[in-house]
Amino acid sequence: MTRWFEDIVIDEVFPLGSHTFSEEEIIRFAKLYDPQYFHVDPDQARHSHFGGLVASGWHTVSVGHRKMVDALFDEAERLRGLGQEPGVSGPSPGVNSMEFKVPVRPGDTVTYELIVTDKRPSNSLLGWGLLFNRLTARNQRDEIVYRAEIVGFSKLRDYRMPMKMKVLLALTSLPIIGPRLRRST
Amino acid sequence: MTNPVTRDRRHFEDLTVGEIITLGHVTVTKQMIFDFAHEFDPLPFHIDEKAAKASLLGGLASSGWQTGALSLRMLVDSFLGNVASAGGLGFENLKWKNPFMVGDTIGGTVTIAELRRSTSHPQWGIVTLDFDIRNQKDKPVMTMRLANLVECREALA
Repeated sequence: MTRWFEDIVIDEVFPLGSHTFSEEEIIRFAKLYDPQYFHVDPDQARHSHFGGLVASGWHTVSVGHRKMVDALFDEAERLRGLGQEPGVSGPSPGVNSMEFKVPVRPGDTVTYELIVTDKRPSNSLLGWGLLFNRLTARNQRDEIVYRAEIVGFSKLRDYRMPMKMKVLLALTSLPIIGPRLRRST
Repeated sequence: MTNPVTRDRRHFEDLTVGEIITLGHVTVTKQMIFDFAHEFDPLPFHIDEKAAKASLLGGLASSGWQTGALSLRMLVDSFLGNVASAGGLGFENLKWKNPFMVGDTIGGTVTIAELRRSTSHPQWGIVTLDFDIRNQKDKPVMTMRLANLVECREALA
């Protein structure tokens, strides 16, 4: 899915689309994962400084992730349409920062956008690259709901294993020597 | 103006740096992984066991966002639900260290790392919480530092 690491352009803006949050889904998510009173109980929420029910930040972020995954599938589809083989994206090692700025209320529409701000080959995972993604979510008044710096793995298309590694890999598949080598590396 | 919902809960003044909150436990089932992934993270390795085996994860595991959400739930049950919380500000340095595989059980600790009064809002303080989430083999699964607003009993003049 998505593009190959080599084809990802730094600072290109990817619009990820929008999602309108209903009261029902805000409460459903929060009951499972974040049952604080201002996320699950509209009456009690009136006493909070929010003045009413708001979505769990983790909920708005999970929807943002879904939007990103959908965009990866769409991009893969577009590349297949051009007769190209799409790239491969892997799991994420982590999130450098996540800032919640403005709460999301029932009926709000949040629009998500992704920018890859930097990329480099991974040191720990041979054949994979690291993407530094900035995800920004805005509401219908163009206020920033959250901004996140998320790291992702993306497979290298042009990766060639160095000769030393190839020899080592071949040796580890031999009987007797192999298991010893695998233990020592 | 007292908030009737949080009146009897722990306020900012009641918290101490270094306090360690012991979380409960949660076991992730195949159904839980599929339910979350179908709604929020439908990558092949979260919704298909064959694709999961062939992936970097080596088997069916929860979405990292689900691991985080379940960790948050443990924090609400063990701490935030009894604190005059006014919502989260965000988090930093979240690291998914090992996958949360189907059938695994996570638990762990959260430590109060920092407490400071808000400079812009005299009625609030900010508590900084360090998560150390581990599986049943005591292997680290996730760490992060979360910042949360807490109501103060006495607003600064």
